[in-house]
Amino acid sequence: MSVRRRMNQLVPRRASLNDLVNSMSKSRLFGWLAGHVLVPYWARKTPVHKQPGGARATVQPGDNVQRMMNLILPLKDKTAVGRAKAAMAIASNLDEIYAGLDNVGTVHFARFVIIENNMCMISCYDGDFSNYIRDFVAQLGTVFDSVIALIEDGEAMIPTRDNIDTFINWVHDRDVYQIPDTATELLHYGTIGQPAVKSGEVADLRLIARALILQLHANPNALLGSGYRGYPGISAARIRDKMGFGW
Amino acid sequence: MAERDMARHLVDAVIADSPDHKRGTRPAHTIGIGVKGHFRASPVARDWCVAEHFCGREVEASVRFSNSSGSPVQHDGWSDARGMATRFHLSGGGATDLLAMTLREFFSATPEDFLAFAQAAIPRPVEPPRPWRKIADMLRLFPPLPDPYPGQRTSSVGGSMAYSGLHSASQLAAFDASFLGAPVSYARATYNAVHTFIVTAPDGTERYVRFFWQPAAGVEMVNPDLPPIDNYLQAELRDRIANWPVEFLLLMTVGEMGDPLTDPTKAWPLHRMRINMGTLCLTEVPDDQQAHCEQLAFNPGRLTDGIAMSDDPVLIARKAAYELSRELRGGAACPFDAV
Repeated sequence: MSVRRRMNQLVPRRASLNDLVNSMSKSRLFGWLAGHVLVPYWARKTPVHKQPGGARATVQPGDNVQRMMNLILPLKDKTAVGRAKAAMAIASNLDEIYAGLDNVGTVHFARFVIIENNMCMISCYDGDFSNYIRDFVAQLGTVFDSVIALIEDGEAMIPTRDNIDTFINWVHDRDVYQIPDTATELLHYGTIGQPAVKSGEVADLRLIARALILQLHANPNALLGSGYRGYPGISAARIRDKMGFGW
Repeated sequence: MAERDMARHLVDAVIADSPDHKRGTRPAHTIGIGVKGHFRASPVARDWCVAEHFCGREVEASVRFSNSSGSPVQHDGWSDARGMATRFHLSGGGATDLLAMTLREFFSATPEDFLAFAQAAIPRPVEPPRPWRKIADMLRLFPPLPDPYPGQRTSSVGGSMAYSGLHSASQLAAFDASFLGAPVSYARATYNAVHTFIVTAPDGTERYVRFFWQPAAGVEMVNPDLPPIDNYLQAELRDRIANWPVEFLLLMTVGEMGDPLTDPTKAWPLHRMRINMGTLCLTEVPDDQQAHCEQLAFNPGRLTDGIAMSDDPVLIARKAAYELSRELRGGAACPFDAV
């Protein structure tokens, strides 16, 4: 058989193998293999740190307004009764919450959401995280106490006004990791003890995909980027001022 | 290196990236379509910039949408950056240009780096990755290398990715470029002017800003799993404009202390303050594309009072390179700084 005929036979066979491999990457079998075998394997081989949660420290004004907080607080009582208690802890303190929001003045919005036996506190605020929590504890200490009492590992914080620094750290630990807006930053979050790409080493940019997977393995809850804003760079105080609300 | 010499090297480097480049045409963004319309500034634009087209009077505008390749062969459906070059026609025959593309950042921070990048990106023969290589990638949790498009024989992607692997400045652009895709319409993509400019407000305040065009119709990309179509963008735009004007918002992002002001490889954070500077309304595709599109020579350095170039070395080099390119292809001259 001539070489050309051999090649002609081989090419279609390779094309079909290629199609098979292409479809394999989207198959449920490979999805299972990746999730249950490959991710644990690479997480053991190249372990990554659990990243701190919340918005990152920065000195730039535009980064210090409309910062996102996403607390996930597991309820102690994982029944409907426990969830109802959490709902009532908020509903019975509406005056305190509104007065606190108005007095603190740096919050764009805040909400409490119960998701699968977690009390989630989600807010968008201006300024430094520690000061934000400190201001709210000063204004809403009793509300925090009534909510925190329902949360796993929360009782040691009560009363929060007397444990303010410990409480700030406790909250920070429960604020979800914010994946960087710039994907290539993931190359710098490497294996524990070393960057994903060492200085002078050739970086295969496809490593970003694995870096993201391993970050989400170490940080199952995540905010995708730093959030999306309809009026970026504007503080709540400035909006109130410009809108003529009398603040 | 003297400005003119650098311009020559840049133009040559870009031409070298398209071996089938046709002499007398644009070295890059060779295939495009010209449209006409007008730009109306927003009510607040004049508070931020004293440039004539931001001061309230509606001005005529010429726009050229393009694919980024310097090849004369059209591949609309291939993943690639698209260009949107806009000329604002000012009073007294003056003009100012704004050049933008669908990529949010550039590949190089200096013209010298761009020469090295362009050298690395010279197209090389490309074949489908071997199946075993794809499987190995999948086992490493890497996205498998994509197959070439049907009929594609060469590609610059391998070279540019290899270069970016060694040069961190170009990594973000290279990474973002791998996700660009193809828009369903030239009117349904966001176009970024990438470089930093300095705008002057009526009170004399100077601000560092970056511009981008946002489509009123929204952004939409073609399904990358479908076979690419080589020729649809120009016909789609003609049909669209025949039925309804195409509109874009011109948004201006205001930089802050600490933002990279002279480095186009670094996009500014998305949560910087952005100002609506006005609306571009495109209403006509001129029949004489040669006169209203191909003969036009846009230049990112063609500015007007109230807008100045930053010290971005790539922007400065582009001004000379675009002018040289215009001379080489015999494009219509348009005096700089004419107002």
